[in-house]
Parts: sequence; C-alpha cells; structure tokens
Amino acid sequence: MIKVENVSKEFRLSKEQRKEHPTNDKYTLAVNNLSFSCNPGEVFSLLGPNGAGKTTTLRMLSTILQPSSGKIEICGVDAVKYPREARRKIGFLTGSTGLYARLSANEVIDYFASLYNVPNNVLKERKAYLYDLLNMNEFASKKIGKMSTGMKQKVSICRTMIHDPEVLILDEPTSGLDVITAEGIIQLIRDYKSQNKTVLFSSHIMGEVDLLSDRLAIIHNGTLKHQGTMAEFRADMEGQSLTGAFINIVQS
Amino acid sequence: MIFKIFRKELKETIRDRKTLLIMVAIPLLIFPILINVVVNVSSSFSESAGEKVLKIGIIGDTNDILIQQLNSIPASFGPKDFIAYNGDSLKLFKDQKEETIDLALWYDSGFQDILDGLGTANILWSVDETNIGYSERIKGYMNILEAEERLKRYDALGIDEQKLQPYKITYQNTASDQQMLGELAGGILPYIFIAFGFLGCMYPAIDLFSGEKERGTIETLLTTPVKRWKILIGKMLVVVLSGLMASCCALIGLFVSIEFLDLIPDPNLTAVVSKILTIPIIIKLFALLLPLTVFFAGIMIPISVYTKSFKEAQSIITPLNIVVVLPAMLGLFPGIELNYITACVPILNIVLTTKSLIAGNIDYILLSLSFIVMIAVAAVAVFVSFRQFGKESNIVN
Repeated sequence: MIKVENVSKEFRLSKEQRKEHPTNDKYTLAVNNLSFSCNPGEVFSLLGPNGAGKTTTLRMLSTILQPSSGKIEICGVDAVKYPREARRKIGFLTGSTGLYARLSANEVIDYFASLYNVPNNVLKERKAYLYDLLNMNEFASKKIGKMSTGMKQKVSICRTMIHDPEVLILDEPTSGLDVITAEGIIQLIRDYKSQNKTVLFSSHIMGEVDLLSDRLAIIHNGTLKHQGTMAEFRADMEGQSLTGAFINIVQS
Repeated sequence: MIFKIFRKELKETIRDRKTLLIMVAIPLLIFPILINVVVNVSSSFSESAGEKVLKIGIIGDTNDILIQQLNSIPASFGPKDFIAYNGDSLKLFKDQKEETIDLALWYDSGFQDILDGLGTANILWSVDETNIGYSERIKGYMNILEAEERLKRYDALGIDEQKLQPYKITYQNTASDQQMLGELAGGILPYIFIAFGFLGCMYPAIDLFSGEKERGTIETLLTTPVKRWKILIGKMLVVVLSGLMASCCALIGLFVSIEFLDLIPDPNLTAVVSKILTIPIIIKLFALLLPLTVFFAGIMIPISVYTKSFKEAQSIITPLNIVVVLPAMLGLFPGIELNYITACVPILNIVLTTKSLIAGNIDYILLSLSFIVMIAVAAVAVFVSFRQFGKESNIVN
C-alpha cells in the first residue's frame, strides 16, 4: 500500500529559471501538502494537467526525490528514512524513463533482475510469464535502439515488473502506443490488481481512467483538488463527460 | 553489485563505435601512422634535397679559380651548376629575386691575386634560408676549399700544421644513451599517455552520466535498491578502464611500430627505445597512470553529472583538455626536474617521474611522493563526484 501524508516538495530556482518565470522567489513549491492513500487490490489514478506536480509526486513515491516535508509509506516502510527498502517493493515507470539502446531486451531485463537480486529460477519464470503476456518473445534478442516505440514500452513495463513488485507506479503507461499494445497493458494492470497488489497510475486518457480506476485524485498546481472513488466521481459528474468533469475540477 | 553495474556499463561502452574508436582504434594506430609519415616524409625530403642540382649565379666567369675549385668538389657533396654573370650585378640580383637561380655567389675581382699574396679574399653567398639544406650544402663546399687553401699556405710558409694546434680537446658525454633519451624524449611518452588517457576517459564519462540523464535511463537505475555510491563506482571503473585502455593501446601502437614494423631507421635509437620499453618500467608507468586516470574520471564525472546533455558536457570537458595538457607540457622543458616541489604538482609530477624512470635515475622517495599526491587528488576528485552524484538536482533533468 501507498500512504502519502502532508507531502510537499520545494525546488530551488536557478537565476535562469527566475528569469524564465519572472519571479524573485528563490524557491518554488511543486507539491503542496499532498495526502492520499492507495490500498492493495486497488488501482489509483493520479490526474492533473501538465505541470500539476504529478511527475514530482511519482518521483517522490519512487524515492528518486526526497520530499521537503511530509511522510511517504510504501507497504509499511518509511520511504523517506529507508528509501532502499522501499525501492525493493516498487516497480516504477514514467514516460521519461529510457532504456539502454545498445543492449537487447533480454540483457536489459537480466540486468535489472540482477540489481533486484532476483534468483535465476524466479527470473526464468517471470520472464516467461511477462514475455508471453506482453508478446515479447519475438524481439527479446533485438537491440533496444532498433525497436519501435511500442516494443520499447513493453520492455520498459517488463523491466518494471520483473522483480514482482508489490506496488506498481506507472506514469502514462499507454502513451504513444497502438490500441492493441495499450489493451495488453490495461490487461496487465487488471491482472496485477487481481493479485491484490497496489497500482498507482497517471494518465491523460480519461477512457483508461474510467476503465481501470477504483479511486482517483486530481491535483493542480501541486495541490490536491479532488480525491475519492471512481463511483463518487461519476455520480458528481452531473451529465458531463469525464473530461468535462476533470476540467471543471481543475478550473474550480 | 558494483561488478554487475561495471559489467553492464562496459558492455554498453564497448558497443559504442565512437567510444571504441577513441579508446582503441586511434591510440593503436596513431604511432604506426605518425612514425611512418614522419620517417617517410623526412627521408624523401632529405633524398630530394640532396639530389637537387643547385643553380648558382656567379658574379665572375666560370674560368675563375674559385669556380674551378668549386667544380672540382665531387658531385657526391651535392650537384651544382654555375651561371656566369660576368660582373652584371643588377641582373644577378634580379634573377635571385625572381628565383631563376637558387643562390648567388659574390667574390673579389682579384680573387687569385689576393690568395697568392696570402691575403684574405672575400666570398659572399646570398642564400634564402627558408630553402632548407642550401646553407648546409654551401658550408660543406666552403669547408673543403678552405681546408685545401689552408694546407697550401702551411706548405708555402713552411709551418707544421700540428704546431698550430695547442690543444686536442675531447668532450666526453657521461650520460648513457638511455639517460639522454630520457631527458630529451622522456617527457613525450607520459605526455602522450596523459593526452590519450584523458581522451579515453572523456567519452565514457559523458555517456555514462550526462548521456544517461539525457536518455532518461539514469532515473530507471536510481529506482533500483542499489546504493548510489555503488552505481557511481561501477560507472567510474568503466571510465578509468577506458582511459587506461586508450593509454595501453597507444603504448602497444608505439611498441609495434618500433619492434615489428621497423619504422625507426636508426638501429641505435631502436635499441635504446627497446631497452626503455621493458616490463618493469611499463608496470611502474601504469601504476602512476592509474591514480592519474582516476583523477581524470573524478574531474570529468562531476561535470558530466552537473550538465544536462551530452553536448553541454562535451563543450565543458573538451577545453579542460588544455588545462590538463599544460602542466604535462611543462615537463617537456629541459631544466624542470623532479624535486619535492614538482612532485606535489599533479600531472607535472607524472611527466617528471616518468622522465626519470626512463632515464634510469629515479629517486624512489620522490616517486612515492608523486604517487601519494596523485592518490590524494584522485580521492578528492572521487569525493567531489560522489557529492555531485548525490544531489537530486543534478541527476534528474
């Protein structure tokens, strides 16, 4: 499970950044006092327009960034105090994460499995399961640099899941993918949920959010604007489309 | 865990053609190509210069005694052709200016009478010194003529030549060939290694940090439960290995050029160089290069970590090459020797220590001091790298 309590993140602005966004402030608040939780067996969507603070939040959850204040708990582990322990339980994928172009899919997967100390017999099973699920067998030996966007995204997802994490954090996992590949990933998220694992994902595709989410949170300018179940969100839509309701909340 | 990271980074690095070119191909081929070009160009130049028929314009006539004497010098001292101007000095000036003749020879009109009267005859050679080899050739001619004339005068005056030579002076060089080579060329070897070591480190240092940041792969790596310092060390080892590999390839290239390709025409020089390139000297050289390469990696990595793209890192690290090479060049100057002060100057100490190692007159206390200084600066550089790599503002774009 993921527990976020009063988390804030401040960034120091460089001189250039202060010039770019005319301000005299030395710091900018990217995330402001954010709290939410995501339970096992649940898919939680984090929504927000560009620059809302989603990526910063996800980076804090994955322990790449440290919060300026607040508490993050991953499966009972204090992720701020014990980031390495928390990382063992997380599978993290963001749109900005890349893969090693000069390695093959197999080499990338083996490398990351070794970094998580996945035993060889478990690795074999996990690879067989994920390769089948993601239709990766055909291009497993192909160099990443020669792969299509869809193939790369599959490898990224496989890399994220190879150590069978208890918590899956996905930032726009279907972005730029064809419908068939996207459908495979949606199926994978469902499978994960059915295994009583925690899935947190962000997306711009409202159809996906509607299809997968049990609960959702909407953030704007680093602040939480809405949190609740998908059923509650639908009930409050008052005849609007999902996108319309989302825009209403952001602009309110 | 460090080894796992090292192995993967090395695999990726050696699959990069650009890095492989800088790390292996160029250092390996540079010496055979360079020596081959220098030897062939200089030998073909000296051959063609020696065979060239010099067109010499003379102010007098070809029957003049001086010209006859010059004509009697064998062609093996360099072929020549005389063009008589019979006192037309203006035309002689003009032709030399227009380069229709190579040299102009001026001499007194009563040349023979002056010699017969045991006087001093004036001879003036007009030479364009930018034509390499002309001056040497005419000095050779004149030495022969002067020696002949001097002997004639000794005979005429009844003087024993030996009696005009009060001293027989011999200057004996107490330095061995190895010492001479160490002093004159010993600085070049470490200079080359420093340059290649730097170059060898550069591309992997940029690729494994800035490059990873640019491609978004560093973020993936940082979400794994591996300690950051282990990631840093694993990557740093690849950078250091690449630098050493480039230096090693340069050494192999040099060794092959000398031993197998027979590119150095002077057998004595080849023998001395072979004597220098021994296993113990090479081991000591690499022992010195190791902390130096770690130091290089240590100054490049913080820059690479700080910058946001491959291009930005390259634009900062490339000029740094000059800063590194400058103290290395100081070591090439004669008179700058290894002492307690120079042993404390990073890079310069490596050049001077290597010079002494090659010359065979190394002071082991100074060698140890140089080594300790390099270890210390390398440790500081690694610490700075660690601090920079730990900053979240540096690792996430």
